Amino acid sequence: MKRREFLNLTMGALALAVVPASVKAEDYRKSKPTVWSAHTVDDALKALYGTSTIIESGVKVKAPKVASNGGAVPVDFSADMPIKSIAVFQDANPESAVVVYEATKYSVNKYSIKIKMAKSGTITVAALGQDGKVYGARVTLDVALGGCEG
Amino acid sequence: MGMKVKAKLKNGVVHVKALAKHEMSTYNMMEKKTGNRDDANFITHISATVNGETVWDASTSQFLSKNPIFKFAFKGIGAKGDKVEMHWVDRKGKTGKGKGKIK
Repeated sequence: MKRREFLNLTMGALALAVVPASVKAEDYRKSKPTVWSAHTVDDALKALYGTSTIIESGVKVKAPKVASNGGAVPVDFSADMPIKSIAVFQDANPESAVVVYEATKYSVNKYSIKIKMAKSGTITVAALGQDGKVYGARVTLDVALGGCEG
Repeated sequence: MGMKVKAKLKNGVVHVKALAKHEMSTYNMMEKKTGNRDDANFITHISATVNGETVWDASTSQFLSKNPIFKFAFKGIGAKGDKVEMHWVDRKGKTGKGKGKIK
């Protein structure tokens, strides 16, 4: 049995080492399920990157000061440094996570999406740098008409 | 369920604008509508490939807008005439796809 356990461990380690990162992107809903059920931005950040502290540099996020329609709030975000992934959170809905993008070797890290916000709040964008540090930026906005029952 | 994908090559960077037709219903929305939170359905994963290589990959939640629009860009792959192919899967396991030629 000892020998089999040893073999299993070795094979597992080998399999992990062999899979090239670029071939199959990570499905963060499967690999990090708690990110999506977290009710606060801090908890979601901890679940995704292991820390809720972000270095406020290198990442930009833009949203209108006043969003007339909370059902589709335009958010532009970008990162200047090489990153592994970038994620968008907000504190206006029951859960915090909106998207997690995995950067590929082809990525130009400049994105736009439209999100739902049930009320006024703060959008947080966080990125995991290739240096292992977590960078981010926040923007606070007013939502005139809450996004359909976020 | 289709997707509209527009891609444009400019100064070596391919800019993509994609629209996925999807209700993107939230748990709270469905609880009010049908009384069952589990009726919520939204895209959970969406990606784009060019010539078989993944150029963009997103794990998503119910808080994207209805019929969400994604804008992103990539470089180092994709010439004019190549296709940007996109695929999504939603919470109920349904899939959708679309493609657009790089102009």
